Amino acid sequence: MMKKSLALGIISGLLAGIAGVIYARLYYSINEADFSPVVSTVKIITASLFGGVLAAIGYTLLDRWLKARGEIVFNLLFTLISFITLLGPIAVRLPRNIDTPELFPGMVIPMHFFPALAWFTLKPIFIKSK
Amino acid sequence: MNKFFYPAAAVLILAGSAFTFLAAPGWQITEGYSISFSSDDAGGIFKDFKGSLLFDEQNPGAGKFDVVMDVASINTGNGLQNKHAKSDEWFDAAKYPQIHFVSKSIVRTASGYQVTGDLDMHGVKKAISFPFTFKKTALGGTFAGSFMINRNDFNIGKPGGDVGEQIKLDINVPVTKI
Repeated sequence: MMKKSLALGIISGLLAGIAGVIYARLYYSINEADFSPVVSTVKIITASLFGGVLAAIGYTLLDRWLKARGEIVFNLLFTLISFITLLGPIAVRLPRNIDTPELFPGMVIPMHFFPALAWFTLKPIFIKSK
Repeated sequence: MNKFFYPAAAVLILAGSAFTFLAAPGWQITEGYSISFSSDDAGGIFKDFKGSLLFDEQNPGAGKFDVVMDVASINTGNGLQNKHAKSDEWFDAAKYPQIHFVSKSIVRTASGYQVTGDLDMHGVKKAISFPFTFKKTALGGTFAGSFMINRNDFNIGKPGGDVGEQIKLDINVPVTKI
């Protein structure tokens, strides 16, 4: 199980990272708000990868401990944790040379859901439901 | 032609040209200036700062500062805090869009200079004094100062609360000679 969930975590994390980078570029072209000094391409990809791998570890552990209920608890926790992490971009204080901090949550908040979105989308390919 | 016209004109021209030598030289504010404030809990900068700076190191008394900050240009680094700072609870940018300082006197001190003038902020005009230094550079110079003001003196925010009443202002203004 660990091997499959880790593969899912890495691939969904990477895809979430790529989606995040594309979204950041799109956001910049629409709003002309450049947050690349704070949220670089590397940071977006590594943060998404971190989320994916963390999800893989969490999924494996919950699957072992809670058996059939593990997946339900994992799905709830993954969504809940994604929501809780939104406090980060809302509360963060950016360097004061960034002109439009009010546009920062709008760029980062969707990215916080990309790992979960990628995981739930790709999961049937990697792990069959019990 | 009145016989006093030419003598009067000569005196006027003479006096006028003399004042150009007496007046302190003007300095233009350049990019890279920083007007920041900080307290126990909050801090930020004013991005838009403009005005005229007349200052002569040899004759500081002839100098005059008349500067304006745009309240709406406040940046705390957080969008929600920016909105809060501009609201009527704090700076009330809609009603009081500018912070205006006009100097009345500039004197030399042991460590630099001291300016006294009227600070018009949040609808309250109050005389303040603060020390500053002026360091000449190859292309111009830099005015720098650091001082405290009490936000209650200007009715900014409610007394007490999480945000300290004493606000520290740090000013760093690079200039070039006009």
